[in-house]
Amino acid sequence: MKKNKFKLALSVLMGLALSWSQLHAVKIGVLHSLSGTMAISETSLKDVVMMAVKEINDSGGVLGEKIEAVVVDPASDWPLFAEKAKQLITEDKVAVTFGCWTSVSRKSCLPVFEENNALLFYPVQYEGEEQSLNVFYTAASPNQQLVPAAEYMANEMGCKKFYLLGTDYVFPRTANKVLKAYLKAQGVPDENVMEEYTPFHHQDYQTIVSKVKDFAASGDACILSTINGDSNVPFYKEFANQGLTSDDCPIMAFSVSEDELRAMDVPPLVGHLAAWNYFQSVKSSGNAAFVKSFKKFCVESGLPGGAKRVTCDPIEAAYFGVYVWKAAVEKCGSFDVDKVRKAVYGLEFDAPGGKKKMHPTNQHTLKPVYIGEILKSGQFKIVYASDGLVSPDSYSSYLWPDGNFPKPTGGPNGDGSL
Amino acid sequence: MNQFLSAYPFFSFIVLLCLNSPSNLGATLSDEKKGNSEIYSLLKSLASSDNDLIEKTVLKLAKTGDPRLEEFFELYRQGSVYNWPTDSGDIRIVVSEETIMDDDFNEFAILSEPLSGEPFMVDGLQAKPDLLDLEDISPGRKLRSLVNSSKFLIRLFSPDYETRISGVKKCGDPPYLFEARDSLDEISNDPLEAEKIRWTANESIALIEFGKKSVDYNGLELRIEALNKLSSLNSLRALARIDSFTKEIKDLEESGNININQSETLTQKALAVKKSLESHKSSVELSGNLFRGISYGSVLILIALGLAITFGLMGVINMAHGELVMIGAYATYEVQMYFGHAPDNPVNEYYLFALPVAFFASASVGLLMEKFVIRHLYNRPLESLLATWGVSLLLIQLVRLRYGDNIGVNSPTWARGGYEISQDVVLPFARLYLLALSAACVGFVYFIIRKTRKGMLIRATMQNRDMASSLGVRTRNVDRFTFALGSGIAGVAGYGWTIVGGVTPDMGTKLFIVDSFLVVVAGGVGELAGVLCSGLGIGVITKLIEPLDFGGFIIGPVWGKVILLALIVAFIQYRPAGLFSPKGRLADKK
Repeated sequence: MKKNKFKLALSVLMGLALSWSQLHAVKIGVLHSLSGTMAISETSLKDVVMMAVKEINDSGGVLGEKIEAVVVDPASDWPLFAEKAKQLITEDKVAVTFGCWTSVSRKSCLPVFEENNALLFYPVQYEGEEQSLNVFYTAASPNQQLVPAAEYMANEMGCKKFYLLGTDYVFPRTANKVLKAYLKAQGVPDENVMEEYTPFHHQDYQTIVSKVKDFAASGDACILSTINGDSNVPFYKEFANQGLTSDDCPIMAFSVSEDELRAMDVPPLVGHLAAWNYFQSVKSSGNAAFVKSFKKFCVESGLPGGAKRVTCDPIEAAYFGVYVWKAAVEKCGSFDVDKVRKAVYGLEFDAPGGKKKMHPTNQHTLKPVYIGEILKSGQFKIVYASDGLVSPDSYSSYLWPDGNFPKPTGGPNGDGSL
Repeated sequence: MNQFLSAYPFFSFIVLLCLNSPSNLGATLSDEKKGNSEIYSLLKSLASSDNDLIEKTVLKLAKTGDPRLEEFFELYRQGSVYNWPTDSGDIRIVVSEETIMDDDFNEFAILSEPLSGEPFMVDGLQAKPDLLDLEDISPGRKLRSLVNSSKFLIRLFSPDYETRISGVKKCGDPPYLFEARDSLDEISNDPLEAEKIRWTANESIALIEFGKKSVDYNGLELRIEALNKLSSLNSLRALARIDSFTKEIKDLEESGNININQSETLTQKALAVKKSLESHKSSVELSGNLFRGISYGSVLILIALGLAITFGLMGVINMAHGELVMIGAYATYEVQMYFGHAPDNPVNEYYLFALPVAFFASASVGLLMEKFVIRHLYNRPLESLLATWGVSLLLIQLVRLRYGDNIGVNSPTWARGGYEISQDVVLPFARLYLLALSAACVGFVYFIIRKTRKGMLIRATMQNRDMASSLGVRTRNVDRFTFALGSGIAGVAGYGWTIVGGVTPDMGTKLFIVDSFLVVVAGGVGELAGVLCSGLGIGVITKLIEPLDFGGFIIGPVWGKVILLALIVAFIQYRPAGLFSPKGRLADKK
């Protein structure tokens, strides 16, 4: 086909070979790391997108055409995200891309999507402060996760002291900025808020846990944790080993879901909390079926973990992202990016976790907020559910108190206008 | 203590009553049966929707002092207790800790008896109803905190020393259970009770007194009295509560409940106590930091020891060292799966068997590496660097294909929790075990290298290969054995790691390889004692600088690492060959 075809990964070759046999297939891109640091989290998202594609094809495709996923592996290498995105858009000519986990990977490929006016569905909760017309954010913005969680700790659990503990990169830093602004607004004195960061892959939490112990000796403290990735295991282990329980000092985590709990020794963690927009234990008509079919898909596709696999918030967001795109395409009767974008605005749809809605202007998703407590089984008991859907803020009103938010970026004209 | 008793004559009366009841419980068979049926009928109230009734029930249950209830309370708190209504709608309280799934992904709960923990039988068969038939009666947050504190109330009556002291201690933490006051008084006055328990009971009573809400000067005076008592006990638990106390005084002054003079005197008294407690704390903290440093150092030594052999002795720049550690960890996981160890089904013996398995798994991978890759690259450090890097990528991807990225490694149950040597200095069992493991490995390697014939041959070969060879040493065999030994020790490090950290395919590259080289290079290539000293040194220094606080700027782990690396760079400038540099002819060779 083209000279630089040789550059393509094996998976893409197979994708191309298949596409010749299916002349009427529409291609979609899947841009998740399958190797490197983030593979631990992102592989599940690739799996669930593949499951959605299979389901859609089994039920007749989109606008009568089969869809075909082109899977690339950006290998947790941030610049590679941009390169792979470019390849998906210009060579494979995908109609839409589903992908990214870390904010830095999204920031890396964002210019590519904006330059080519392509679409990305981004399925992971993030720090906000962004609004590109080329991205649909199907997970939480800060006001749909961070703020309700801090509110719950302060009001419901009577916590007066807050230990903000995170991994040292953009999400925890921005998230803690929002949290500190919120706590200040609530009248929490500065000396009752501690902030600390650890490097990526930090493993020795002895000092921090002993500090937490001093901090929490008064009995009214909690931890708001944005610790990410593989540091969570040693952190929770050390916490339990030094004799602390959720009764001494509850940990509210923003990056620990059912999937991460699979790698942990759960019994000592019972009672710690997490805030998400979806839990596997959400009781809704579609959820039981979704959980079952995900387990089935993992078993049938021979994926590691098999029937032990669990669903979690980003998995749900990645899954319904595909269906939002499908519904929008069917609504406007075209695969054209600009038409699809307009069709997505204000779209209402049934996700596994219940009815949800796309925001009419700001690219984000209206979602319910849940707070769950860890159970012995590695699942969450939902202890708080928001009253209906919470509208997303692309820019936090705690960081932009005057309401003069920056303009959106990207779009058909490249200047944030529609 | 007498002053408390005289101040509360009514309480002491109740104490006598309370004390009598648990000691009588279970005295005779009929009494026990009666107690059982009483507990069972109380349990049924847990399925009520009336929260007040449940609260009262929990307290009543706790006061029976029946030790079986603690386990039950724990299950109840964790949400493993259900109501399984009979066909006629009667309440049946059951426990379900595990479920099984059929081919259609339907889940069935395996039930057990609430008190005895034995299987719940219906018509002589194990009951396993559909999970959906069980009514969830797990307590809400507020209730759960009560259940938790009530658990400590039960412990006060335990015959076991450890259990009793933990109960006595926790009763002094908020939310205070005033029901526990009477029993605590009794314990602190019991001349037959152990000294430490009486001491802790005194502390907890004072903490309860100190934690009382007060609105006038007299109330605050009483609390200061309690605080002075805590000060004489050197209670660190009181320290964290003083700040909020002084704040409370200020608030009361502002709201006009006390005047400025009163507020001044009270604050000064509180601050005096704070000062004396803080000086006590700093001495405690120093010992805590030292232990944490030594423990961190022991982990570093453990992961670097294998490299000290392969790189230090043999001179192979083995970039796959971290992966050998990883293989040890996965071998441990395999053994765990083989024994079926899981949190709800602990088979702790697995950890014993995992040690040799991890050693031999990594040793055999090391042997293969030596045979196919490294053998051809002795004395070509750059090529061996690249080749072993390739091997490491290969191993990572192989493991990822087999296990995926996310596996659940469960520590043996004894590795949870810790041993408290003095107040607030907890030595976690897992850390103590690693310390011992690390010492044992160093001893083992030292023994092999220094005290055995094999070790002598290793030393001879590494010092002068040609000479050893001409004297009849089979240097190929020695190479093979040495590399396998180093790899095996790396595997043991991975095995030990599973109880403090997580296990992922790329843990080697991300967590271990840099630290191991750091330790070996700083210690002096080729010297076992160097690894020992630099591992401990790096560990202790890290843990001493991490908690430093310069007027609000806390060094913490990010800057701690930066400072440490700067120190090591400076140190290497000053002593390029590391702590223990080879001397004499050996130095020339390297």
